[in-house]
Amino acid sequence: MLVMGEVHTGLLQNSGEIPESTCRDVLQLLSGERVRVSRRPIVYAVSPDLLTGVDCRLPSASQSRIRGAGTVLSRSSITGGRVVQGSSHTRIERSGSDRRQPWSHYLARPGVVEALGKAKPRDLADGFAEEPSADGLDLGAISARFMDVVQSSPLLDRRAPFKIARTRLRWVAEPGEPAIHFTLHSDQMRTVRLVHTGEFTPAVVDLCEDLALHDWLLTALLVIIERARIGGTPGPEAAAKLAPAVDHLLHLWMPSARVDDLLSPYWESLDRRPGFTRQWQSLVDRVRDQLAVHTLAFLREKSGGGAR
Amino acid sequence: MLIFAISDKGGTGRSVTSTNIVYRHALQGNDVCYLDFDFGSPTAGAIFSVGSVARGTTRKGLHDYLLSEVAPEPHRVDVWTESDREGLRTKPPGAGRLVLFPGNEGGGELPAVDEEALRRCVQLFSRLDEEFDLVMVDVSAGRSFTAEMVLQATVRLPSVPFRWLVFHRWTRQHILAADGLVNGADGLLDVGTRFGHDRDKLRDRIRFVRTAVLEPDAAELVGLRDEQRAWLFACDTELRELASRHKVGRTAMLGKIPLDPILQWREQLISDEDVLASKIANAETAAAFDDLAKKIVDDAAWEGL
Ligand SMILES: Nc1ncnc2c1ncn2[C@@H]1O[C@H](COP(=O)(O)OP(=O)(O)OP(=O)(O)O)[C@@H](O)[C@H]1O
Ligand SMILES: [Mg+2]
Repeated sequence: MLVMGEVHTGLLQNSGEIPESTCRDVLQLLSGERVRVSRRPIVYAVSPDLLTGVDCRLPSASQSRIRGAGTVLSRSSITGGRVVQGSSHTRIERSGSDRRQPWSHYLARPGVVEALGKAKPRDLADGFAEEPSADGLDLGAISARFMDVVQSSPLLDRRAPFKIARTRLRWVAEPGEPAIHFTLHSDQMRTVRLVHTGEFTPAVVDLCEDLALHDWLLTALLVIIERARIGGTPGPEAAAKLAPAVDHLLHLWMPSARVDDLLSPYWESLDRRPGFTRQWQSLVDRVRDQLAVHTLAFLREKSGGGAR
Repeated sequence: MLIFAISDKGGTGRSVTSTNIVYRHALQGNDVCYLDFDFGSPTAGAIFSVGSVARGTTRKGLHDYLLSEVAPEPHRVDVWTESDREGLRTKPPGAGRLVLFPGNEGGGELPAVDEEALRRCVQLFSRLDEEFDLVMVDVSAGRSFTAEMVLQATVRLPSVPFRWLVFHRWTRQHILAADGLVNGADGLLDVGTRFGHDRDKLRDRIRFVRTAVLEPDAAELVGLRDEQRAWLFACDTELRELASRHKVGRTAMLGKIPLDPILQWREQLISDEDVLASKIANAETAAAFDDLAKKIVDDAAWEGL
């Protein structure tokens, strides 16, 4: 019927970026299974998918009470040794019967939640953008825990270079005429509604994670620039506040790096509007210009001092 | 940095003072949040003038997060956008975030500290430490399961810095009570040591804050008779001696907040506007909050005693 997911993204709680081998060790703790690593164009390490059983109320814009039972697929990942993600998704399907089945039934269909009742895809998708009810399907809570496992690893020193909020990207994918809508809600909350041709493939999950990663980078850079109060504080102070962006973020921007070619038109459409890369580039220029101006002022001051 | 606000007695000014401290800390450019762990009467919303959560939230509050089956993301209130006070509703340039996590309306005290609630508490502190420069936790009054829980939680977060503020009024009973809460049987040091804290290190992370202090030479007392003033001076001297005998004296004190008429009438944040424009609050009070907001993170003020 449709697939829904939620990706949480945040700064790895370590003073510096961690090497590939540590990424492996950190993610290993999660499962003991093999961690997958790709190195180009950026080091990306991801745990295998793990299952969480759920038996809960499904989202519904019309507030219908529809129960769902099944399993959610989740994983943790580290990009560039610096950014952590916790990602969960599940496919909602109609159940063959109105009665709850034994767990063995659901375990045989990993990543599927069966709706025990008359769920309408539109109603589900609309409801999913809202906060889950107390007994509702809460993929965010699951993703947050998958992030916690990484963040609390004893291999990390917990001295992150700056404080920054995690962002949450909630997404829903349905079959139909291809389209993508990205919406910013609060400081931390985003939603993506994606319509794909043909069958759902795991590449859609990769796409949503890639979007979440870049949206977080953009958000973090905006926050750092706001904190620097360019123009409102003395140059050296502003420059010092901008430094963490250069040290830890600017090199991580690689949109579409892990996105299937078939899905790259979605990224391209978001890059046209709202224009992620354009905004990123202008912010990066701003940071670099500020640092250049600051360096010039510093040099002038030094040489002026020398002449006297 | 986690800061735990506690007092032995109720009604000492713990909530009003700790909320004003986080507010000032946000104005100083830091991202801060306030956790209302006073589960029996979660009224921090009222002090921040957020009417919708004046007595706690009806959505998913901290109580739900710690005790319900699913541990939902707790309700966050952005004070800069949701306060009913117009003067608070725009974030001043250069200020950091100011976020309130309300308790549940009608939530009730923690019934015990079970492993699951403790695990969630650790997780919450650890998540918020990722995001905020300062996390202020109103732990409620006296010896409680809440105090026990946060003492245990901080043992499990060895790399997250934390400090305790013990609030008390400037009277004989309050000084003795504050001392008892820290040093007495089953006090913070006893319980903390039992759960794995090092006693001396824990003591170094505890400071006292005197609330609603009326200095004998305060302007308010100008009309007093000489006999009355002499008596107040004598009392004050006696209290100072008592305090230092009980290790609640100057060295262990982080700061004091003067008695302010507006706080006697209403629990609220004191803004610069209250001091400069409407002039309803005393400049000394705002300055004392501002000073404490700096001292809580100033390592020099927390060197070993
Ligand atoms: N500096 C001050 N000057 C005058 N009044 C004050 C001052 N600080 C606090 N008060 C007043 O003292 C009363 C108790 O304060 P508050 O509610 O902060 O105490 P509390 O310790 O949090 O109490 P409880 O244990 O009931 O939660 C309030 O009416 C408050 O406005
Ligand atoms: Mg209180």
